Amino acid sequence: MHFGTLIVKNLLRRPVRSLLTATGVALAVGAVIALLGMARGFEDSLLQVLQGHGVDIVVTRAGKTDRMTSVLDQRWERLIANIDGVERVAGALMDVVDFRDANLIGVFIQGWPTDSFLLAQLPLRSGRPLRPDDRQCVLLGSKLAEILQKTTGDMVEIEMQPFRVVGVYESYNLYENRSAIMPLEEFQRLMDRQGQVMAFHVMVHQAHHKSSLVEAVCRRIESLTDEHGRRLPLEARPAYDYVKSTLQIRQVQAMAWVTSVIAMVIGAVGMLNTMIMSVFERTHEIGILRAIGWRKGRIVRMILGESLLLCLVGATLGAIVAVAGVYWLSTLPAVAGLIQGQISPVVIGQGYAIAVLVGLAGGLYPAWRGARLSPTEAIRHE
Amino acid sequence: MSDRQPLFRTINLTKLYSDGNVTALVDANLEIPQGQFVAIMGPSGSGKSTLLNLLGALDRPSSGEVFFQGHSLSKMRDLDQFRACQLGFVFQSFYLLPTLTAAENVQVPMFEAGLRAAERVRRATELLELVGLSHRAGHLPRQLSVGERQRVAIARALANRPPVLLADEPTGNLDSQNTAQVLALFEELHRRQQLTIILVTHSSEVAERAERIIRLRDGRVIADGGGQPG
Ligand SMILES: Nc1ncnc2c1ncn2[C@@H]1O[C@H](COP(=O)(O)OP(=O)(O)OP(=O)(O)O)[C@@H](O)[C@H]1O
Ligand SMILES: [Mg+2]
Repeated sequence: MHFGTLIVKNLLRRPVRSLLTATGVALAVGAVIALLGMARGFEDSLLQVLQGHGVDIVVTRAGKTDRMTSVLDQRWERLIANIDGVERVAGALMDVVDFRDANLIGVFIQGWPTDSFLLAQLPLRSGRPLRPDDRQCVLLGSKLAEILQKTTGDMVEIEMQPFRVVGVYESYNLYENRSAIMPLEEFQRLMDRQGQVMAFHVMVHQAHHKSSLVEAVCRRIESLTDEHGRRLPLEARPAYDYVKSTLQIRQVQAMAWVTSVIAMVIGAVGMLNTMIMSVFERTHEIGILRAIGWRKGRIVRMILGESLLLCLVGATLGAIVAVAGVYWLSTLPAVAGLIQGQISPVVIGQGYAIAVLVGLAGGLYPAWRGARLSPTEAIRHE
Repeated sequence: MSDRQPLFRTINLTKLYSDGNVTALVDANLEIPQGQFVAIMGPSGSGKSTLLNLLGALDRPSSGEVFFQGHSLSKMRDLDQFRACQLGFVFQSFYLLPTLTAAENVQVPMFEAGLRAAERVRRATELLELVGLSHRAGHLPRQLSVGERQRVAIARALANRPPVLLADEPTGNLDSQNTAQVLALFEELHRRQQLTIILVTHSSEVAERAERIIRLRDGRVIADGGGQPG
């Protein structure tokens, strides 16, 4: 018999209780994996969009925590373009619109200059690219086109105005496939934001030490001044930092963590309850183990081993349910393109790490109690 | 270490329980040579278990000393190791782990002796054979008779090949037939393996099987039946 066998057999002594406790942990770990997984999927998605277009730096208005409210003067693009190290720069205006008829909310519309370097990396499935003289024209992402049941040549209504679908693009990114793109000027007119953009996307020169070049260009952009020598209100961040610091992502992350912590505390309390009961029931037995020479450390290892094993079983159950559940969610039409079906292995690792914490939190005190049991007391109360 | 060194020697061994001011054991001066079969008798509350627990390092004396092979227990650094390797305990209630088979129960103390898994299995088989339960190796405690359970507990006590067996009322829960079996087993272990056996009992019938009887009353040794080593 191995020590592990003893631990397993101890847990099987009360199979229903063990299963229920493991289920509690499974719920906690499942919630953590599902929520963090979705939050991370969202973040990865956004980063993928930027990187897919070769964007190294995103410039927004300084001091705006919510980037959706960032407003920049389109003319500053020229100043950025002249900076040493900058290869390409393109302004972008973005907004979120609803398609009430299709029961679709929160669709991103991008306004890009027709010569934007971002458009160069956009594979079209049908139709043609945007042209400078296009009026009332739009490119639809493949997923959006599918949901709206539109294709090249059809008309769609956006913000109560008719637009012609000149093409359908299919990026490898779910999130982008659920959006639409129109010429910047058209979008500015539609939104009454002439001369304004929300962000500048910057590509730097190819370089060996690209990250240091990116940092340097960011500093140069932030120190740009107007003709009166006043600093422009610009905040330039590497794409990765930009995504990480996006308000919406931080909110989703924070919510995911808060929910997860609550789930963890509940899981740990359940574990604590189970293990305290289990030690209490085995007072005599543990006392006898001490009498026959088991060290305190071995009692601790036995009890902690039990709680950790319960947690690992729970974590595995939880991970399976979370992965399957998120995949299932991602296939629902209503959220199509918003949730990525895959959960990063890092997040699953985090789930297991949390299970270990729950196991320790729920097992340490009972283990300590068990180790302290006096053998003579155990024998006396026969 | 000389051969004449007693296995156990107690000097003015005293145990007071502060709650209720109970004097459980007073000034016990005893020598128990290697290989002796000793019975400890006395009425309930006379301090028999107290004495056994002090010898077995399960409890600390209020004053006085216990020496094991000349070493003071109070100065011993690792009492757990001492209990695991030098002593075998048998109790009135057997306290087998209910989800482990007989063979697995016998292996439980071996974890502390650092034996490899294969060696643990081999020894458990050997010990069950010794107590006459080879055919019950795969049974759970609840599938065994009361007498069989106590024999498994005795096999467990011998797991790490200790020189001493400390038994507190080992036949207290057994009928006469099982009592006879257990006593026969003790006698055989004593005779064949020169095992030192210190047995607490109420029953004079049981005590008569020993070489020496130590009688306690109110925590004092009132008679010591002498007996010769070996
Ligand atoms: N932990 C304790 N706290 C207080 N008093 C105790 C404790 N343990 C034992 N005693 C007392 O010490 C005395 C001796 O107890 P002990 O258990 O040694 O007796 P015993 O001879 O083994 O009796 P029995 O035959 O009933 O087992 C008794 O009066 C008992 O009540
Ligand atoms: Mg007693």
